[in-house]
Amino acid sequence: MYSDVVAFNLVQAVTQWLLTLVVCGGIALLVAVVLSISIGGLSGPSTIWMAVTRGVRDLVSMSPKRIGAIAGLTWKESFRRQDVLVGVVFVLLFMFAGWFLTSTDLDTPAKPYISFVLTAIRWLILPVALLLSCWGLPADIKGRSLHTVVTKPVRRSEVVLGRMVGYASIMTLGVVIMGLVGYVWIERQVPESARHQLVSRVPEYGRLTYLDRNGLPSLTALNVGDMWDYRGFVEGNTKAAAIFNFSDLDTDRLSASDQLQLEYRFEVFRSHKGDIDKSVQAQFMLVNEQSGLKVPYPRVPFEINEFADIQTRSAEDGGREPIITIPRQLTYTPEGELSSKTVDLFDDIIHDGTLTVQVRCVDPGQYLGAARTDLFIRLPDKPFAVGFFKAIFGTWMMAILVIVLGTTASTFVKGPVATLLTFALILTGLTLRPFMSEVLEQYRLSGAVEGGGMLESGYRMVTQMNTQVELPGGFLTDSIQWIDSQMLLGLLLLQNVIPDFTHFDMTPYVANGFDVPWNNSMMPGIATTLAFILPALILGYFCLQWRELEAK
Amino acid sequence: MDNESVIQIRNLSKVYRDFWGRKKVQALNSLSLDVKKGEVFGLLGPNGSGKTTTLKLLLGLLFPTEGEITVLGRPAHDVEKNEHIGYLPEESYLYRFLNADETLDFYGRLFKMSPQVRKERKDALIEQVGLQHARRRQLKEYSKGMTRRIGLAQALINNPDLVMLDEPTSGLDPLGTRDMKDMILKLRDEGKTVVMCSHLLADVQDVCDRIAILYGGELKVMGSVSELLQAQDETQMLTTHLSDDALREVEAVLAKHQAKMMKVDHPTTTLEDLFLRTVQESQARPGRRFVPGERPGEDGNAPETESGPSDAAKVEGAAS
Repeated sequence: MYSDVVAFNLVQAVTQWLLTLVVCGGIALLVAVVLSISIGGLSGPSTIWMAVTRGVRDLVSMSPKRIGAIAGLTWKESFRRQDVLVGVVFVLLFMFAGWFLTSTDLDTPAKPYISFVLTAIRWLILPVALLLSCWGLPADIKGRSLHTVVTKPVRRSEVVLGRMVGYASIMTLGVVIMGLVGYVWIERQVPESARHQLVSRVPEYGRLTYLDRNGLPSLTALNVGDMWDYRGFVEGNTKAAAIFNFSDLDTDRLSASDQLQLEYRFEVFRSHKGDIDKSVQAQFMLVNEQSGLKVPYPRVPFEINEFADIQTRSAEDGGREPIITIPRQLTYTPEGELSSKTVDLFDDIIHDGTLTVQVRCVDPGQYLGAARTDLFIRLPDKPFAVGFFKAIFGTWMMAILVIVLGTTASTFVKGPVATLLTFALILTGLTLRPFMSEVLEQYRLSGAVEGGGMLESGYRMVTQMNTQVELPGGFLTDSIQWIDSQMLLGLLLLQNVIPDFTHFDMTPYVANGFDVPWNNSMMPGIATTLAFILPALILGYFCLQWRELEAK
Repeated sequence: MDNESVIQIRNLSKVYRDFWGRKKVQALNSLSLDVKKGEVFGLLGPNGSGKTTTLKLLLGLLFPTEGEITVLGRPAHDVEKNEHIGYLPEESYLYRFLNADETLDFYGRLFKMSPQVRKERKDALIEQVGLQHARRRQLKEYSKGMTRRIGLAQALINNPDLVMLDEPTSGLDPLGTRDMKDMILKLRDEGKTVVMCSHLLADVQDVCDRIAILYGGELKVMGSVSELLQAQDETQMLTTHLSDDALREVEAVLAKHQAKMMKVDHPTTTLEDLFLRTVQESQARPGRRFVPGERPGEDGNAPETESGPSDAAKVEGAAS
């Protein structure tokens, strides 16, 4: 499994959220004021002011009882309209799925089963949430049943929130039932030989740096020609090494078992055929940076699991990433000495919660590729159910976000348009947003985007000018670059108003036997969902409030 | 606000516009009127005259293009005012997947009524509108008349001070129409204000204290029904049966006072009365043919007849 681990920064996220809220609110207010002046003259701004104050009052004085009543109505509506029939599709899928699911991958034999269940739940929940939330209010408006409701003392914010809560509760029930059925199905269907994979491994990742062939520190290593420079390669039988620095380790917790497990999955690049009967070998060096103590482990170099190795390893061998278990007491022979020494892993090597592991390739002329996630300390495993239900929780959060967006869209457009709009938002959030983030990150780091912004890249395409050639100086270039930079600011804002739906897919973690990390995966998902609830509610309220329900 | 006025409308105009903001229809033009507390006020007019638009503006379902509306002392867009308002829409726009019990319970919850109060109110209202037999049936199975009845019940769930009824008798059979009119008069007797719009003039005449007639979005006539319908230069007398001699004497007296007898005939009852009596009699004595001239209970052995009702109708006319 390839994944980069980026810790979630809550403070930064909240700051960014507030900033986006203020900027979007300001833009909306400005547009409203301009429109109101153009329609109502000088009295326009006072109308907007009254609408805003009324809006604030309506939002803060919502009644839970009325919201509950509307949510209850939504619940009854869904059941009586038999929207829950999607459950039948789910049952049918699970009745026959076992016939078609087999795994030929010895490395992750349970993966197809886990992936199937989580993906099926995800893609069954998504359209139901989408259709329910996008069609509910428009159907109410079309059937005019909402007209009767709003002639009662019901605030339109209560209508919007009531609908959201109603759909959310329906989806919650759906997700819980599907999750439980899916879990039982996995437990029953996964073959005995693959059951060892039903676990939630908890990795502790370190920071990766390198030593070059002369032993000098470096942030990067060799690129062996891959387009993707995810891994850096270190040359065998030189001073080059990949250095994994683990910090903030909970030594008390780790030392409870009197051993430390390291799990690894390196890649190999052979510059010559070498000994094809043996995998390329590597060795760990456990280092105490403070004292300079270096202990090689294992004492004999181990074989790296090259591709062929993965294919041939049997399930009895684990059929998965190899693990090296380091005992508490380590015996080694210091360089230049003849006698062995014994040191304590937790007292002598791990210092102040920090452990450094150097990985060297032993074979000359061969290369070992290491990425940050290729070596981790394996903390005590959690039950498979923990990871599985975290992934189900991710699906639930996605459903809630879809409901929030769909309900909001349905306050200002009709059902089909609301569905298209929300679906487009989901697709953009799944596919385009990572690209937008990448472009903006590049712009943030270097102040420019490779190939330029929209206008510059268009200009380059028309003039067949590649990205390495500088644009001719002059007014046109200056204008293009200025407009592009402004558009990038717009893109920055747009990026923040498009939810990142990739946060909700936790299937890769669970399918590969990992626990879903709280900080790296759960928090971004939760934050994304929470971040959209309030703005969507405000937008939905104002759209419904300013909408003439009876307009001809 | 005038102490007596429940609704005040001043220079109210409404223009419907298309998506691009272009004017489509001028539905109301400078309408001003007051509705007093405790009266039954009728908005009349042909289709497209603006009466339903007025009602919807009062309820905040539409926004005025110009003018001011005050309902129960509050602006029309104020949600708080709805605490004291009941509204029966033209087509009883209710949730068709709910049954009568659930419908009233749902609307009761919107008024934050306690479960106990909700139960009492819905039991009373379901009985009042005569839907005890169908309270567990979903509204999609209801006839139009039954839907109007449950619509009225939901409008009264909060015991409102002001009741707005849009075409209240539309779709009802004569019995239902009579019940609805009785209900409106009962509401007035309880001190509530009723605003209704209808184009069924006879119904309006029966129940309204005051009316306003709209045409093309403008107010054409407004006043009390009795004053507006009274013919000031004519006098009508109703007596028991007069012989031809007596009639001649009356004619002579009139001539002496320079008055002229314009029309002498036997008054007739209304078709509605005839229908209601037929139904009541049929319920009281199933399987018997109704004789219109005979008063109910007068003779338990009223003869069955195959002939037309001409003679009996005379008797009926005389009796009335």
